[in-house]
Amino acid sequence: MSVENATQVKPRRSTSRFFEKFYPYGSVLPALLIIILFTIFPVIYAIRVSVYQNILTKPNSHPFVGLKNFIDVITSYYFKTALVNTAIYTIAAVTGVIIFGLIVASLLNTKIRSVNALKIIILLPWAVPAVVAGLMWKWILNSDFGIFNGILYSLGLIKSYIPFLADPVLAKFSLVMAHIWKEGPLATIFILAGLQLIPNELYESAKIDGGGGLRLFRHITLPLLRPILLVVVVYETMTAILTFDLIYVMTGGGPGDSTALISWFAYAEIFKFLNLGNGVALSIIIALITLVLIILYMRALKTETTIY
Amino acid sequence: MRIKQRARINSILTNLMVVILIIYIAGPFVWVISASFQGENELLKKPPSFIPKNPTTDNYRYVFTGQVPTSYEVKGQLRSRISQEARLIAPALKNSFIIAITVLAINLLFATPAAYAFARLRWKFRSGSYNFILASRLMPAMAIAIPYYMIIQSLRLMDSKLSLILVHSALTIPFSIWFLTMYITNIPRDLEEAGQVDGCNYFQVLKNIVVPLIIPGLVAASAFAFMTSYNEFLFARFLTTSIASQTGPVVLSSISGNPDASYSLISVCLTLGMIPPIILAISMRKWLTEGLSSTITFR
Repeated sequence: MSVENATQVKPRRSTSRFFEKFYPYGSVLPALLIIILFTIFPVIYAIRVSVYQNILTKPNSHPFVGLKNFIDVITSYYFKTALVNTAIYTIAAVTGVIIFGLIVASLLNTKIRSVNALKIIILLPWAVPAVVAGLMWKWILNSDFGIFNGILYSLGLIKSYIPFLADPVLAKFSLVMAHIWKEGPLATIFILAGLQLIPNELYESAKIDGGGGLRLFRHITLPLLRPILLVVVVYETMTAILTFDLIYVMTGGGPGDSTALISWFAYAEIFKFLNLGNGVALSIIIALITLVLIILYMRALKTETTIY
Repeated sequence: MRIKQRARINSILTNLMVVILIIYIAGPFVWVISASFQGENELLKKPPSFIPKNPTTDNYRYVFTGQVPTSYEVKGQLRSRISQEARLIAPALKNSFIIAITVLAINLLFATPAAYAFARLRWKFRSGSYNFILASRLMPAMAIAIPYYMIIQSLRLMDSKLSLILVHSALTIPFSIWFLTMYITNIPRDLEEAGQVDGCNYFQVLKNIVVPLIIPGLVAASAFAFMTSYNEFLFARFLTTSIASQTGPVVLSSISGNPDASYSLISVCLTLGMIPPIILAISMRKWLTEGLSSTITFR
């Protein structure tokens, strides 16, 4: 078989060598072109737009304004509110998601029978669109006929319905609760993958040495899980900072600006204040904030992985 | 004795925790489905009934055929605006489906050969372009939304399915490439080498040897691409203006943005909208879980 094949292949050698040499470039090019068109070009474009005045109500005047758009944004009435809201939301959401992930993953990692039901449904919140998730929670928490109020009322826990999404503090809580519901499952899968990497013998030998549940968790699970937890924290921080869909459908940034995060204002600059220049400047600030966070985390991750 | 008691309390507490978690995770789904089978009058009671007392398919019939539910006529609270909007959900979900399936196909077509080139072949700019592709995913969507708007406008693609297909492909291909590169790197090399000895060129090796070996990876990557596109909201909101291209999430958000929104019709729309991802998530649970786990445990 090999002799016959060899004689057949030989005459085509020169074209096939050409083919082999350029094959890798040809196979990457289509994907690369789409990504370049939607990455490099937009970034250059965004930087260009950010130094010109670009207000939709003045379509024919685009003077060069330097850094004025950035200064406008930073000195605007909402910038500090946006940063504070985003920070509170991110800390609450990431903490919640990680705790949820740790609890559910630990349960899934056991052989308790009731856990099987949890296994089947755990991916569902992750799978549905954030818009669907937000709208479900919005109606559940509705102040006039939401089922959550209904349940609390029937149980006699409240005397009258609570307007969850109309109160600045409760609205934040509600959003974080919906966020944990939507993002928790992915964190759970990640943490579970990490838990399954920890060899069982470690727990067994520790149990012989007389370790209780919490002590096992602190001295074996947590240290061995750290590299993966760190990746999950990075990922969840980015997701929380950039939350938009949930807020768009659940509160629209309100009441007041109490649930308006930084991406919400980027949207508002464009669609409500009609100021593209400011909107793009704020978007660039968002990109820079996430970039700085990513670099910080990468550093932390590097030192982590050299230890373990 | 005391140890036994403690173990029992522990097991009760654990099971209680599991039940609470199941209610938290599945409750919203059950409730929205239940609500979609209730008439408006029943739904607006205080407190509402969790299980419909007079289950009705009127809401679904209205969304698909335009036949007004009787419960609306009785109270004379027909809401023409929301009613008409709710009827847009079927075409919107069709748009979502067409776009997501095309994005899935583009991902398989473009990402598989690219991933093979990154995982197995030696060529100049390999690590450079790989890192570039990965880094492109770090760009926050909001930061590039306006430039996307401008690009799509200058390509004269505003309010077209093609615009969303392009944007969603650009969003999903980097992940698919990364995921498949990892997958190919982790399969044994022997078969490919045997194929090359037999005189197969790279493309034949990929087509006849690698692809059959990475089917689970391809299935998971397809599901991720489909879901990302089906669920995407921000760009769909920016780039579409009419039902010619508006997707499920856009129409859902605009239906419920109406303060007069009919709760039961919204529940119908939500239920319809979540059917495809739920079917995917349940039927492909194992592959999705393995795929997601591998993204964090492979290095």
